[in-house]
Amino acid sequence: MRKDYKKLLVIGSGPIVIGQAAEFDFSGTQACRSLREEGYKTVLVNSNPATIQTDTDTADSVYIEPLLAENVARIIEKEGVDGVISGMGGQTALNICSELADSGELERLGAVLVGTQPDAIAMSEDRELFKETMERIGEPIPVSRSVNTIEEAKEAVKVIGKYPVLIRPAYTLGGTGGGIAHDEAELEEICARGLAYSRIHQVLIEESVLGWKEYEYEVMRDSDDNCIIICNMENLDAMGIHTGESIVCAPCLTLSDKDHQRLRSAAIKVIRALNIDGGCNVQFAYNPANGDYRLIEVNPRVSRSSALASKATGYPIARVATKIAVGYTLDEIPNRITGTTYAAFEPAVDYVVIKIPRWPFDKFRTVDRHLGTQMKSTGEVMSIGRTFEEALLKGLRSLEIGVKGLDRVDVDDAAIREELVNATDKRIFVMGEALRKGWTVDQVADLAKWDAFFVQKLKNIVDMEEKIKSGLSKEVLLKAKSMGFSDDAIGELCGMQPLEVRARRKADGLVPVYKMVDTCSAEFAAQTPYFYSTYGRSTEVVPSSNRKVVIIGGGPIRIGQGIEFDYCCVHGVMALQEEGVDAIIVNNNPETVSTDYDISDRLYFEPLTLEDVLNAIESEDADGVIVQYGGQTSVNLAVDLEKALAGTKARILGTSPDSMDVAEDRRRFSKLMDELQIKQPQSGTGYSFEEARSIAENIGYPVLVRPSYVLGGRAMEIVYSTAELKTYVETAVKVSRNHPILVDKYLTEAIEIDVDALCDGTDVYVGGIMEHVEYAGCHSGDATMVLPPFTLSKAIVDEIVDITRRVALALRIHGLMNLQLAVKNGQVYMIEANPRASRTVPFISKATGIPLAKIATKLMLGKTLKDFGLSGYRAIDHYAIKASVFPFLKLPGVDSILTPEMKSTGEVMGIDEDFSKACYKALIAAGNNLPTEGGVYVTVNDQDKEKILAPVKALKEMGFTIYATKGTSTYLRGCGVETTTVFKLDEGQKPNAIGLMRDGKINLVINTPSQRSGAIRDGYTIRRLAVELEIPFMTTVQGADIAVRAIKVARSGGLGVRSMKEFHGLV
Amino acid sequence: MACGYLVLEDGTAYKGELFGSEADAFGEVVFSTGMDGYQESLTDPSFRGQILVTTYPLVGDYGTVDEFDQSSAVHTRGLVVREYCRHPSAMYKGGTLDSYMKRHGIPGISGIDTRDLVIKLRTEGTVRGAIVGDVDVEEAIRKVRSMPLPSESNLVAEVSCKEILRYDGGKGLKVGVLDCGTKSGILRDMRARFDVVQFPYDTPADVIKESGVRGILVTNGPGDPSHPAIAKTVVKTISDLSSQMPLYGICYGSQVIARALGASTYKMKFGHRGCNQPVKFEGRVYITSQNHGYAVDEASLDGTGLVADQINVNDGTVEGVRHRDLPIFTSQYHPEASPGPTDTAFLFDRFAKMIKEGKL
Repeated sequence: MRKDYKKLLVIGSGPIVIGQAAEFDFSGTQACRSLREEGYKTVLVNSNPATIQTDTDTADSVYIEPLLAENVARIIEKEGVDGVISGMGGQTALNICSELADSGELERLGAVLVGTQPDAIAMSEDRELFKETMERIGEPIPVSRSVNTIEEAKEAVKVIGKYPVLIRPAYTLGGTGGGIAHDEAELEEICARGLAYSRIHQVLIEESVLGWKEYEYEVMRDSDDNCIIICNMENLDAMGIHTGESIVCAPCLTLSDKDHQRLRSAAIKVIRALNIDGGCNVQFAYNPANGDYRLIEVNPRVSRSSALASKATGYPIARVATKIAVGYTLDEIPNRITGTTYAAFEPAVDYVVIKIPRWPFDKFRTVDRHLGTQMKSTGEVMSIGRTFEEALLKGLRSLEIGVKGLDRVDVDDAAIREELVNATDKRIFVMGEALRKGWTVDQVADLAKWDAFFVQKLKNIVDMEEKIKSGLSKEVLLKAKSMGFSDDAIGELCGMQPLEVRARRKADGLVPVYKMVDTCSAEFAAQTPYFYSTYGRSTEVVPSSNRKVVIIGGGPIRIGQGIEFDYCCVHGVMALQEEGVDAIIVNNNPETVSTDYDISDRLYFEPLTLEDVLNAIESEDADGVIVQYGGQTSVNLAVDLEKALAGTKARILGTSPDSMDVAEDRRRFSKLMDELQIKQPQSGTGYSFEEARSIAENIGYPVLVRPSYVLGGRAMEIVYSTAELKTYVETAVKVSRNHPILVDKYLTEAIEIDVDALCDGTDVYVGGIMEHVEYAGCHSGDATMVLPPFTLSKAIVDEIVDITRRVALALRIHGLMNLQLAVKNGQVYMIEANPRASRTVPFISKATGIPLAKIATKLMLGKTLKDFGLSGYRAIDHYAIKASVFPFLKLPGVDSILTPEMKSTGEVMGIDEDFSKACYKALIAAGNNLPTEGGVYVTVNDQDKEKILAPVKALKEMGFTIYATKGTSTYLRGCGVETTTVFKLDEGQKPNAIGLMRDGKINLVINTPSQRSGAIRDGYTIRRLAVELEIPFMTTVQGADIAVRAIKVARSGGLGVRSMKEFHGLV
Repeated sequence: MACGYLVLEDGTAYKGELFGSEADAFGEVVFSTGMDGYQESLTDPSFRGQILVTTYPLVGDYGTVDEFDQSSAVHTRGLVVREYCRHPSAMYKGGTLDSYMKRHGIPGISGIDTRDLVIKLRTEGTVRGAIVGDVDVEEAIRKVRSMPLPSESNLVAEVSCKEILRYDGGKGLKVGVLDCGTKSGILRDMRARFDVVQFPYDTPADVIKESGVRGILVTNGPGDPSHPAIAKTVVKTISDLSSQMPLYGICYGSQVIARALGASTYKMKFGHRGCNQPVKFEGRVYITSQNHGYAVDEASLDGTGLVADQINVNDGTVEGVRHRDLPIFTSQYHPEASPGPTDTAFLFDRFAKMIKEGKL
């Protein structure tokens, strides 16, 4: 039965980081909707502006504030919250709730945790308590010991009896700091790291179940102790590879009913013993040799797996878990999919779901690509098919890594063996290649520790390739399509163009049908507007008679393409619906809000290739397509889509693909800028190394180089000499006739500006002008940005507004446009124009209260800016600062220095009337442990010495001890700042920075690297150590400046919290 | 693989590939939503006379192993799947489903758009159909239309044991099983608690009384509980025993107990077959394993002394009855699971308690 609360608080999960991605926007948003439909007053807090849940209308009050226990307490007090939902914001929210409960703060504020209680959280999170509980109920877990020191860890290994052992830190997310130790040296190294990451400085040393199978169960329980399983999932990769890193299928395919029931019953026993009200995820290791199993882990909250399970089954776990939290029982909650049944049932699916992780190794070329117990992937794709092969091939082409399916790789037998045993992200492709080379299914399966069942599926695909090659009869074509082969892949195998295959296929009457995801395998007539394609007898899609528009989604979360685009897609949907148009989403990311079937009128869970998107458009007989919101994924489809749709009624809405091409094509764009008399850094396009070199020499070094058509600055670098250019061309990109590189003059020490604007073809509205804190050259996705500009003169701002207006009109923008500009010596330069939604659209929308993506959609439908009373530019009367969050901790080997190559996974917003306070909020929200006292290590390059003086002086005045290397130290002393001189690492003497950092004497590092990429070794070591010890580090003078402002605020204490409605004057 | 057809009485023909035995199969086409447990279903005597369609598209993935059998024969007349697995996981070291079905003389057809088929069955209700080879489809459809409904025969007689079987496990409490086509899972769970005497379905009440059993479980079974041959045998026996000893009925057993006490049953449109049916019972919801095409008519319970104390959460149908005064209760679902969740296995303990205490 429903319980009464005055006001309920939902805590979000903060910025996107590896291990915690868009799934918590999905769960938090569902939770808020679920509470509001029950009539509860709701409050939401999250630091991440790029989320749907931080929209002002998601909850009664929305706060974009740093996710710290003290802030949450302030909000509870201010809002009069009496119930806090802990389970929707991942580990972040759970930790905050534990902290507030443990400290007695919750009780003091008169609030309670709603749903799973603190003792239950502790029982599943604290390894010892978990172990005791499992022993009590007789469920087996791996032999293990919790330890707090490395010495204890060694003792624990003696008890376990043998290496390898697993090391799991308590209270971390995505397995941060964990690992597998094969000997004592590895044990010491991994334990040291794990202990540092654990909130309670504890790691678990555990018996290895490497090579066992891994199965997961998603369980729900209500307060009447009713328990149901939503879904089980099978990891294709054996134990030893984190489930977030593993290819996963749902449901489990290789378990007999008897064993499925054993695990199911165990999972239910566990959720009961842990006394969890709501959803939880139970992971099992299963020994295929004898059927033994071990309980590996329980997450007492919704998770990445539960988001996947929700999308895989259509069962809205977060929504139902929320209702359970407030007292409803499963049989009281209607199943909205069928409309006639209740949430108290177990979904039965009639398809195969596959999840494949998306790794960032295309961005981080130096990172160790091996997969293990620590998550490295930033996102994932999900695919649905009626056979395993179909789902797998759809999944692979959804990854946006340039593959058409199980593509070929060039490997020899030795490399195959190595890859099979020590997996990287490429293993599945290598498996395919091994089979093509005549390796047997069993050989591949044995080395990879996969069930041969799955390898056989790859073999089926490889065998089908041979059939396709030997002739494309109608029968073979149908078989290939049923198996999930794309037209692209078929074309490659038999020497045809993809569109030729398409034409041939359609001539043969082979078009996909769409089946519904309905939770019940068609047992009941369902209303779900949720579909996937397959080849079969009948389709379940009946196009509506309404006007219909397809929005192409953004695909998997990856560096450069984050949750921001999903936010835009969802706003597109809302706007279409507000205008009475049916909104159809095509996307493949299971984590996101856009793929919640409750959001759009129709959801197509499909790869985002030309073929799959065209099929969906045809299935719906759509009137329009929006390509502006899915980031580069959808923009890249624009030109081809327009061609393919010629002669049909479907139109690309908004800015024309030709305008998009003008913006993307350097030559056309430069010509336009010349016509508009807008300055650009000198540039050229090189189709060979020689051409690039002569351009660079002509312009003068340093130059910015990159391949054409990139997303998130992939392979973008600043080079300072011909030698560096040569290295770049040889290692980073292949230059060719079809793949030229762009060479731009690099403007040193220029201020970079991002502008997002709306245009209806006649009028232009400048949504926001953001000034980067770092100089141009740091990727705009990584840069700290300030809205409105904080150093620019009014004249410059006016010029920016004017340039924006002229460019938008010249490109005939209908919808959104983003500009990147640079300001140097009072001159404004155009860097690039993006005729689409940019990643700053949600940030600006939150900061200003003007929903840009929604309005843009309506402009595409024919409304004008005048209809919204928008024109020109209007600065806000508060500051919003966007700070980025980086995955350095998870990715050993990556330098934390900021470059033109994007590295961040997510962002936060600090918003306040006071600039320094906004800086403070942004920095702490981004996870910087800003010190209020202690030591600062300063080492800067020569250009920066003068500029660093002011911030260092300020720190000194606040009582910090300043440590500096000789050069910096001499300079600072000369300016009257007392410093302690430390040795450089290569001087081999103490004290040096490394020792001081390890001793805990340094609490902040200011290290600006020499811009020469060859001379960064010393700095690299220090930056890496700072990452590992979680010491905040600033790699730019401007960053240091912001940090100092923030520290001043931190020392003065007492920040307020303010809701978004208050900022926008709506209350 | 040879090409073949699934044909339905409404004239629809689905083309697919045959596996298993080469024989033709005629039967009533029903679907089950269980995502695994295909071998348990094939050998469940309640499927006698039926062609089974699995909604889960992949079947045979983990092969076949003797211990999963629910009886010594395959009772479905045929199996219809989206994709039959030729190379099962080796984890259970069993054989392929293909060789298993060949051994049992049962055909299967693969490559069928089973979702399309299930929607048809859901809409039109259970229909007659056949799995046939690459033959004249029209001819096959004519045959289907003229075939008798399997439930017109006394299917229970085909699957019940032929003589009394005794399992003395030294449990100290002798309980009878009136075998209308029992699954081995029921015998397993009964033998874990009792010394079991298994009676053929047509055993008269006095034989049962004389055997010294302290209670009777009436099992699952195939076909229509209102069949005249059943009225004369099982229903009569139960009617005679109802005031004499504790009774528990599972599935078909539930229906015949209700009939014996004066209630009526009806044929459902397409039944409940699967492992995910929610049942509300004593304020709790249980996920249950089900396989039935007939149900007890709740309205007919008036005046029988029976009350429907278990209800399907999805469609409100009767999932179990109990007697107001006598030690009699039933479950329309399968507490022995096999396949399916074991969440209601406690019903066997409840039966034991009822026998010992003489009341529910």
